[in-house]
Amino acid sequence: MEIKRIAKCGTFESNDIYVIVEPNSDGGVEINLESIVMKQFGEQIKKTIDETVKSFGIKSIKITAKDRGALDYTIKSRVETAIKRAL
Amino acid sequence: MYDVLIRRAEYEEFDDVKRLLADNDLTLEDAEYTAIAKLNEDIIGTCSFSGKIIKCFAVREDYKGEGLSLKLVTHIIDEMFERGIYEYFVFTKPENINIFKSMGFKIVHSAYKVCLLEGGKSDINKSIDEMFKKSGLGYEKKSALVMNCNPFTLGHRYIIEKASKESESVVVFIVKEDKSVFPFDIRYSLVKEGVSDLKNVKVISGGDYIISSATFPSYFIKQLDDRIDAYTNLDAHIFGKYIAPVFNIVKRYVGTEPFCKVTEKYNNALLKILPSYNVEVELVERIKNSGNIVSASFVRNLIKKGDFNSIRNFIPDVTFNYLVSEKAKGVIERIENEK
Repeated sequence: MEIKRIAKCGTFESNDIYVIVEPNSDGGVEINLESIVMKQFGEQIKKTIDETVKSFGIKSIKITAKDRGALDYTIKSRVETAIKRAL
Repeated sequence: MYDVLIRRAEYEEFDDVKRLLADNDLTLEDAEYTAIAKLNEDIIGTCSFSGKIIKCFAVREDYKGEGLSLKLVTHIIDEMFERGIYEYFVFTKPENINIFKSMGFKIVHSAYKVCLLEGGKSDINKSIDEMFKKSGLGYEKKSALVMNCNPFTLGHRYIIEKASKESESVVVFIVKEDKSVFPFDIRYSLVKEGVSDLKNVKVISGGDYIISSATFPSYFIKQLDDRIDAYTNLDAHIFGKYIAPVFNIVKRYVGTEPFCKVTEKYNNALLKILPSYNVEVELVERIKNSGNIVSASFVRNLIKKGDFNSIRNFIPDVTFNYLVSEKAKGVIERIENEK
């Protein structure tokens, strides 16, 4: 599947994550993450985002995410919805 | 818990918005969209934006700390997103930094009275790296000039030529913000063509971080108040902290400013601040022609008067050829209609 346009999902409320997805002209999966729990969970959040992207079979995407302590389920569904809006 | 409504402000509500801002030492200026938080009949919060800039943000004292800021700013960011703005900036007082940080904003520079943060997709380090890569410049030591060139005059040519003779390599940043009579594309291409004989000079766009409405909102509003000190300092710090190291800029040339007080203050800020980032600043005396200082504002005055004979003494051929061409008609008309 291919990301065709820019789209977003989520809010800046506590326990949520705000996700912007867009086509990546350089190719590949690029994740730019800001998180209030970067030190503890940064890698885990990136992994969850990456797995969600892969489950769509997407090879090229740029993701900007602002995390406010979202749980895995939230991250997964926000990323998924943003991707579906961008297809 | 409250029935707070966040929505766009209507015309008859602007007086209340202004009052709320005034209570917070702010004024409503140049806002393209204004949102309010309304509880019953009271406006208890407001936030606006113009282009990429989030501004005029205030929450009534007795409603602070209840998450209203978050709702207001989210509304603004959503509205910007709808309009295709994914990178944004906010100027705010240092006491509001945490509100914006909690929304993923990052501090670009924090000074005594004013702090610039960026949010969404914007990332100063990345942008400057990309700007540098795209320029095709090498790692040699460089001199830099930042110019609006509204339009390109012999005065600009003189100072670029001087820098070219005295430096190994020169980079000229053309102010990108389109708030001048001559559009960016024209300003940029006239300079580029006008210095094409100087082989060690590269002309590039100044991007979002050099005298843009993000780094320096008052440059385009020529009024003098104490905010100007804050903004000139901010722009100088950003240049020294982020741009100079990536481009390896060791010197910046600036023209003396006899007329415009804002530019004069800006020059003083550069002189004061850039040396602390190991960037030398050289003030170059402006050249004169038949007793008149060659400046873009003087040239615009001549255009306004329709005095195309005198203009020849102040601008290079490339600018003159453009001015007498069909393409310049709209611009000239706008200058003639200026007050």
